[in-house]
Amino acid sequence: MELEEFLDPQVIKVGMKKNDKKSVLIDLSNVLKNAGYIDDAEIFLEDIYKRESIGITGIGNYIAIPHGKSAAVKKVGVAIGILENEIEWETMDDNGVKVVILFSVGNDPNGAETHLRLLSKVAQRLGNDEVVSSLIESKSVQDVIKSFKTA
Amino acid sequence: MKIVGVCACTVGIAHTYIAKEKLENAAKKRGYDIHLETQGTIGTEDELNAEVVKNADVVILAVDVKIAGMERFEGKRVIKVPTTVAVKSPNKLLDKVEEVLNS
Repeated sequence: MELEEFLDPQVIKVGMKKNDKKSVLIDLSNVLKNAGYIDDAEIFLEDIYKRESIGITGIGNYIAIPHGKSAAVKKVGVAIGILENEIEWETMDDNGVKVVILFSVGNDPNGAETHLRLLSKVAQRLGNDEVVSSLIESKSVQDVIKSFKTA
Repeated sequence: MKIVGVCACTVGIAHTYIAKEKLENAAKKRGYDIHLETQGTIGTEDELNAEVVKNADVVILAVDVKIAGMERFEGKRVIKVPTTVAVKSPNKLLDKVEEVLNS
């Protein structure tokens, strides 16, 4: 499976009009639930916040990568939200966040290796400045998917 | 300069791989030779081979957790930082590495 196939248009949102971290996370969790990646958005959110409490997930360059392992996850995936306005987030460069990449990962990696490997590729691309600028400028779901091909 | 290293973060899903990408890009821009292994949820990837480790001038460990295979780096210059340092300021980290090697 290629990275482009793994990126599911069902769980990518552009032009999100949210003004705070919590409402973005709630929205993206519901998107994951509706697409069948998780079965309980509340439990999932709790586990995301558990990871948030360990350390900063705003990696700089307006990107945040909230994640965590949760029993609520049925399928490994990645929800992507491109925000219309910069929001506050705990970040490494003290800027806000314009792109939220929410990983859904179950507690048991067995049987999910292929998808976890693809997830690691998504993370890796986020370390690339060209991919990041292209993501921030994305106006459509296709723009988002194309961004990951930039590098 | 020849660099080898390992990236490993707490959850083993995201920071590990971002740190690798950032460090590799920063090092390549300076014309360094760099090989980074990742230890994450999916296990060890891009495992360092003995020859590459042997020839390395320095070992960079961008790790938040205990990693496997520390014995490979015995007798080497090892610089250990949290993954956030590699993600946040890979260039500063390489500056520091240069400083340590030249001192």
